[in-house]
Amino acid sequence: MSDDWLTGPILEQLSSGVLVVDEEFQLVYLNTFLQRHSSVQLTEAKGKSLFKVFADLPEAWLRRKFASVLELQSPSFSSWEQRQYVIKLPHLRPVTSSSQYMAQNCTMLPLNDPSGRRHVCMLIEDATDAFVYQQHLQTTLQKLEQSNRVDGLTQALNRRYWEEQLKLEVQRAQRYQQPLSLLLFDLDKFKQLNDQYGHLGGDCVLIELTARVRGLLRDTDWFGRYGGEEFGIVLTNTALAGAMEVAERICLAVSSKAVTFNEHSIQSSISVGVAQLDAAGERAHEVLIGQADMALYNAKREGRNRVVSYSAGETEFQLKTN
Amino acid sequence: MSTVFSEEQRDCLQELINVAMGLASDKLARFLNTFVHIQVPAIELVNSAQIPAQFEAQYSSAEAALVSQGFLGNDGLRGEAIVLYQLENAHRIAALLGYDTDNASELEMLTDISSILTTTFLNGLAEQIDNSLSYSAPRVLSSRQNNMTEALIETACHWELALRVDISYQLIHHSFNCDMLLLIPGEAVLNIQQILDRIVEEY
Repeated sequence: MSDDWLTGPILEQLSSGVLVVDEEFQLVYLNTFLQRHSSVQLTEAKGKSLFKVFADLPEAWLRRKFASVLELQSPSFSSWEQRQYVIKLPHLRPVTSSSQYMAQNCTMLPLNDPSGRRHVCMLIEDATDAFVYQQHLQTTLQKLEQSNRVDGLTQALNRRYWEEQLKLEVQRAQRYQQPLSLLLFDLDKFKQLNDQYGHLGGDCVLIELTARVRGLLRDTDWFGRYGGEEFGIVLTNTALAGAMEVAERICLAVSSKAVTFNEHSIQSSISVGVAQLDAAGERAHEVLIGQADMALYNAKREGRNRVVSYSAGETEFQLKTN
Repeated sequence: MSTVFSEEQRDCLQELINVAMGLASDKLARFLNTFVHIQVPAIELVNSAQIPAQFEAQYSSAEAALVSQGFLGNDGLRGEAIVLYQLENAHRIAALLGYDTDNASELEMLTDISSILTTTFLNGLAEQIDNSLSYSAPRVLSSRQNNMTEALIETACHWELALRVDISYQLIHHSFNCDMLLLIPGEAVLNIQQILDRIVEEY
């Protein structure tokens, strides 16, 4: 073995773990990297069962892996993506990484000693960097997905995402034959409010209004910003009577208390249109929006700051008499 | 560069593959403690560009998975082995290997099964031509998370030639089918042709 002077020191300096066990899974070798990370001395551990030396190894799993390497004389692998680590070891970047233990890629290889006895050699690569990047990526994707759904100013759902949810809920209600209602509401005289207090004043009212409305909704309701000062709420499993109650409460929550903006007290109100799903077919959600919109139009026409429901059969915007 | 095998080379390759499959099934049987029957595999040399379409037809209807593993040997023998199967099929031998069939260990099971199939078969192939192979860690693409056809298109365009090996395993009480694809780059095809010629001459 004329290359001993090379392989010996390199093996000791390697920043990967090298571990060898015999057919009885007794430790034959641990390189310096593993000894230092695990605080296990080869001189003490040699000849002992691997599962005694490293007590928290996934024993059943590892036995099966090693058995396949010995029996089939072919390599076996473990990736941090499926199993974060095989041997629980600290890593060297506790400051820059959120994970506590070293993520590992392991390769298990068949190895025969000079007398032909079969061994398994396990190579352990530190994959903590990849693990950390992957986690960052996932958090970022989650944030991105969230911001893709939400209206930046009011934190209500944005129109695109809200409409997707409406469509899904309508399909679900049709399939399970459950009631579903839609509220569309609009801040009264928003233009006038913007002219009087400036756009910041208008924004302030929108933010306060959505916060009050959100407090009155269930987790299963979908609240979205439909347009500038127009909002929609999908009330799942709710018939018209229940939806009217919610709408009245929302209407009152807005008008009963003024919004404070730069020492101004801004009095505002909303008009609400309510409709219950009764159409069938693929365009049912559009029909429902149209009906709630008609009701909203009538609420405006009747003098604002009120709730009006859609009556079956109405086919055009009409002024209710009386 | 000719990527077409002569009839002699082809016959020789088929013979090597038959023997390799025999060796693999013997090892698998001993490991799984059950009788393993592997049908004589049908091999076909195809242009890599045709692969995605072929497999889309076969695998797009059900949930499928693809496991890829690179291999590297002496004399310029190298390539990428891909095992494709329907997930439903994979569950059947998962039980034999003692895995839970929950989602968490499913990927691990897929990599293990594929790695065993690939490495036992390729080791058997290498043994016959006095070669030895080293392998990269297997990577899984599941149709649940990825578009497999896209992945195949991306992979296939890097390789000249594909050796398609249809494998059908039968274990007692269980049977399952999968496809193994050996993707081989152009210069490695030439090297394989030389290896095959050498073997043909020796007989």
